[in-house]
Amino acid sequence: MSISEKLYNNAGLIFPGIAIVLALLLAGQIDPYLAFVATSWVIFGLLGLSLDVVWGRGGLLSLGQTAFYGLGGYFGSVVAINLAPTTGNTLIWALPAGAAFGALAAAALGYIIFYARMGPLQSTILSYTFTLLLWSVTQTFKLNVGEASIGGDNGLSNIPGMVLGFGEGAQTIGPNTAFAAAVVISAILYFFTRWLMRGTFGRIVDCIRIDPEKTELLGYDVRKYQLLNFAYSGALAGLAGALFGLWANYLNPSIFSVQEALLVPIYVLVGGLGTLSGAFLGALAIGGLSFFLGGGAVGGQTTLILGIVLVLLVLFLQNGILGGVGNLWRNTLPDPNEAARNAGAVRIESAVLGEILEDAAKEAGPAKNMGTNEAFKQFGGVIPVNKVTQSFTPGKPYSLIGPNGAGKSSFLKACVGMYKPEGGTVTLGSDDITRAPIFDRVRKGMGVKNQKPQVFGELKVADNLWTAAFARTRDKAKAEEVAAKILDMLGLGGQRDVQASALSHGQQQWLDIGMVLCLAPRVVLLDEPAAGMTNEETRELSSLVRTLAKHTTVVVVEHDMEFVRTLEGHVTVLHQGEVFAEGDIETLRADDRVLDIYLGRSEHV
Amino acid sequence: MELDFLATVLLSSLSSASILLIATIGLAVVFGLMGVINLAHGEFLMIGAYTALTVTQAGVPYILSIPVAVAVTMAIGAIVEILIISRLYGRLFDTMLATWGLSIVFYQLAVLIFGTVTPGIGMPQYNITIGDYNLAGYPLLMIVVAAAMLFFVFALMTKSVYGMKARASIQMPQMAQAIGIESSRVNTLTFAVGCGLAGFAGAVLLPIVPATPSMGFAFVIKAFLTVVVAGPVTLTGSAITALGLGGGASVTASFMTSVVGDVFFFLITALLLWLYPMGISAKWRRKL
Repeated sequence: MSISEKLYNNAGLIFPGIAIVLALLLAGQIDPYLAFVATSWVIFGLLGLSLDVVWGRGGLLSLGQTAFYGLGGYFGSVVAINLAPTTGNTLIWALPAGAAFGALAAAALGYIIFYARMGPLQSTILSYTFTLLLWSVTQTFKLNVGEASIGGDNGLSNIPGMVLGFGEGAQTIGPNTAFAAAVVISAILYFFTRWLMRGTFGRIVDCIRIDPEKTELLGYDVRKYQLLNFAYSGALAGLAGALFGLWANYLNPSIFSVQEALLVPIYVLVGGLGTLSGAFLGALAIGGLSFFLGGGAVGGQTTLILGIVLVLLVLFLQNGILGGVGNLWRNTLPDPNEAARNAGAVRIESAVLGEILEDAAKEAGPAKNMGTNEAFKQFGGVIPVNKVTQSFTPGKPYSLIGPNGAGKSSFLKACVGMYKPEGGTVTLGSDDITRAPIFDRVRKGMGVKNQKPQVFGELKVADNLWTAAFARTRDKAKAEEVAAKILDMLGLGGQRDVQASALSHGQQQWLDIGMVLCLAPRVVLLDEPAAGMTNEETRELSSLVRTLAKHTTVVVVEHDMEFVRTLEGHVTVLHQGEVFAEGDIETLRADDRVLDIYLGRSEHV
Repeated sequence: MELDFLATVLLSSLSSASILLIATIGLAVVFGLMGVINLAHGEFLMIGAYTALTVTQAGVPYILSIPVAVAVTMAIGAIVEILIISRLYGRLFDTMLATWGLSIVFYQLAVLIFGTVTPGIGMPQYNITIGDYNLAGYPLLMIVVAAAMLFFVFALMTKSVYGMKARASIQMPQMAQAIGIESSRVNTLTFAVGCGLAGFAGAVLLPIVPATPSMGFAFVIKAFLTVVVAGPVTLTGSAITALGLGGGASVTASFMTSVVGDVFFFLITALLLWLYPMGISAKWRRKL
């Protein structure tokens, strides 16, 4: 690995590190007024970081960050006013209080957004209106808490400054020291956030942004991670707000204003969405810009300029400064996706697969039966699943066939939990899972492969498999081991560092199947797995399905009759949502009624 | 409780709901037909109000200032669509951010041009009396205006060639293009119509809501929530949501303060979104 590559991979550690050292060295030298103003840029950077966590990584554009910021500011300041005099130090009271309150507010809003499973648009609008609501409520909100008095429009004054020392004699620190303190606090939070986002938690949050459905199909409780991530971003924003209170010594409802809220996405977009450190760079750039414009003719029109800047940013500079530089830099490095072009064909070794499946059985328990009893699902006048009673057991693969619109996929979706049936039951082993959420079914042993390949395109091939394996093992080393085995079996060993999106369609199908295998499922549901595969790949797939069926229960929905024939399993024909005929493929092929519905002949339709 | 009091509350709530609907329809049209949320909608309302105000102050009768306001906002809307929105097609959140930036630009320009305080316009004051209570006539007229707007938009979308094209473009963009509909032009027109409706709202509400640079923000909270709660069937959905939410908030506000009314509005919205995460009309079979 060249120096440039090493540097690139650790850029988020090295460059912020240098910037922090520089800032601390400069802290003692610069003009106190500049230090005072620059402190606010650092605080805004922290606020921007909170948005980057939830938007750049989590994928939800929250326009409510200033709400958590303001709430954290007010709460932290009230706590500081009342409690700081006993200890002298204001930071130990204001910062945790602000963070806790911001996290709580975000968790409350996030609970509504995520647990209702709101669409992205609804979520963004709700977060925006939350901010606007606080703006209008705080105008008239008056409350006295001990020494602190929140006076609606008049705001909250007499907030103590930053005090580092303890005891009676502790003094408010000067602007230069305060700047250094803000830098240190932000540095700690930045590095902690970076560590969090590069770890398992961040990996899962990334997966949710890329494909929430697939993440849930791996058995992760998506809503819980989204909520935690949102609460964490609320904590960062709240802490930034508390720091702001100590810096400004005064807060008023304008902290919730649209002008204030507008700044946050600008910081993130200027710096680079999803880069974490970009938020600080953006705040510095925008803050610095308005500082130097401040005295001039455009001084009063900062808001106007910022509005225009936002429009231009969205139109012309999607990746921001860091994103743009990063792309240029990466183009000079060797392309890790090069290997994708040299991939060989997949060859399923039944013996190797059998071994993997036996290992899986040891860990995850024996294969489970799956059954439905009178399952019923209705959409308006259409009944895609009409009182279907089926029982699936290990040993032989089960195929569901039928003409278009027969209800095959709908039946599968009712089993997976994407559709909640209106009547009847679905059972997995001895559990009734009719109402269970998807991730719960997966944890109980269900493995699902949808028709389209679902892989996390931005992640490396090996990381895709690892994420799937970790969902079951919850053990990093073990997940590594499982993923390596499956990777070898798929013949993708040479492509382990390739981004999944660079793989061909067929390879992505295999990778998706590999992710399902990593889950060691006790029941496997495959929706048209042969779609878009070459003849050769279909043969391998057939061998995989037959081997799989010896160890687990396998249900395949398929159009390709030839493929179904090679499976040598049990076949169910669905028609208009009902079970039409059952048996082995040869009997059904000879059945006139089945031919009638397939060919659209009128007698039995 | 007296019957006349009840009737008064009912009528004034209905007129509040109608005012909300008037302010929302433009947003609903743009969202329903383009899938775009225009965060600058409130500012188009404000532009409409200021246009009507300026024209009236120049001596033109108020009633004639309304079409002027519509023309001005439609023109600005068309320019915005061509310069900004059309470049962001399919990027919902980027569109939101861009229109958000735009909203602050319009707001700041209004502050520069008109200052933060502006006089209202004199309106013929006529009242109607129900029992012991007096109600201002103009807000009640808004019930009729809202119904007329709704009827107009329905007719435009279902009876006119443009409406057919617009609905075709949103339902099946590729197919619409394949049969020769130039969807980019349809979109420009749709956005302009949405902005024109906002301008109409600003002008027609001028006697009730005086023009101020920040008047947009006051409207947008409820307008956004209404559209989002309404869901994909924007017109019918918005009408029902505006009636329910706007009326409910107004009833609450008439017994308590208007801030409580706002909070009530927000909480009920959150509750409705909890029950219908994609909007109340997500599972309806009608399309408009």
